[in-house]
Amino acid sequence: MNCLEFRRRIGAEPRSRAPELLAHRDSCKDGCAAFWQRAQRFDDDLEAALAIPVPEGLVERVLLAQATGERRRQMGRRRAWMAMAASVVIAFAGVGMMWRQSDLNSLPALAVAHMPGEIDALSLTRPMSDAQVEAGFVGRATRLKGPMPAGVTYVRDCTVGPYPAVHLVTRVGDEPVVALYMPGKMDTRFATFERDGWEGRQMPLPGGTLVVLAQRGASRGAMDAAERGWRAAIEGPAAQTVGQI
Amino acid sequence: MPPVHKDVNPKQRQYEAMVRALSADLYRFAFWLSRNESVAQDLVQETFLRAWKNLDSLRDAESAKPWLITILRREHARLYERKRLDTVELDDTVPEEAAFASPERSGDAAQVRDAMLKLPDKYREPLAMQVLGGMSCDEIAAATDQQPGAVMTQLFRARQRLKDLLGGRAAAEGGRK
Repeated sequence: MNCLEFRRRIGAEPRSRAPELLAHRDSCKDGCAAFWQRAQRFDDDLEAALAIPVPEGLVERVLLAQATGERRRQMGRRRAWMAMAASVVIAFAGVGMMWRQSDLNSLPALAVAHMPGEIDALSLTRPMSDAQVEAGFVGRATRLKGPMPAGVTYVRDCTVGPYPAVHLVTRVGDEPVVALYMPGKMDTRFATFERDGWEGRQMPLPGGTLVVLAQRGASRGAMDAAERGWRAAIEGPAAQTVGQI
Repeated sequence: MPPVHKDVNPKQRQYEAMVRALSADLYRFAFWLSRNESVAQDLVQETFLRAWKNLDSLRDAESAKPWLITILRREHARLYERKRLDTVELDDTVPEEAAFASPERSGDAAQVRDAMLKLPDKYREPLAMQVLGGMSCDEIAAATDQQPGAVMTQLFRARQRLKDLLGGRAAAEGGRK
């Protein structure tokens, strides 16, 4: 390295500790060491001059601005979370209300709700004649296609919710089983249910929907027998055979 | 100076330590960049706020100061753009008295400061980055999108210009014997 190069680099980077610069400084006999010393003094003065006083409280103001901004962001985030949580609660409540409304209008709910008005029919024991039972179906513009089940103690045409129905009570053994046949109410679902002290089955038939109900604790055999009897009577023997295949 | 909170998370501790360690240097750099005390304070505050948001990108303590200086230069450029659009400057190159309100006001330091304020931006900025930021030519070149050789020339000329402005003092200290 020559003196010109040395001085050019020291003139730009006086604080450089590059080995080749230090080597030239220590070996040069043309005054480069003195030049280096002057450059260091100049930069000492420059550093001192540029180190202007820092305003009092600058650090605190910077930290306060950051803490305030961070707190505001946290509050914003918290508000957003609360709004989201409220939205979720409202959504769940809405879905719950819709589900409840839908459940209240379901056929099992309507059938069970229908029962208190005719609860006395469960205590009747005197069998009705086939003609009386037939008349109940005729009132709903429908006819039985199969043999009448034995032990029918009650028949009446009434409405279950909005649906016209034939309300029947059959005694199987000593247990009353209710059958609600809604001609024209077409539903494809078969369902069993338990609600408000009642056990029931809902089943689709070719011309309508049959709901069989018994008070909780009734024997399964009694309900099976009532279901079989009314299906055979409503669908007729042929349909029953096809249904079994 | 004690920390604000003892039980703070590591990010907050890192941030506070960085503010305490580097705010003075950063303020001085901001002042020599903007030549205005209140603008410098605003720049420091904005720089640290931006640094807080991006603190995860800072990998090691050594690079904190160059990183902050880079952020501050961007903030200053933004501010300059806004000011150029929004206001009509009468004379914003006059430094505020408060900046030099210290016993060092008189004598050589004051002369050096006056000379520094007269340096063109292209010389004053890299010189402040080097003297106050401790940045090498290569680091300044990387931060300013220039070639290291160009930065070296600017730094050389900045010092020469300062010496010229300082007159006899420069002749006594910087001239070749």
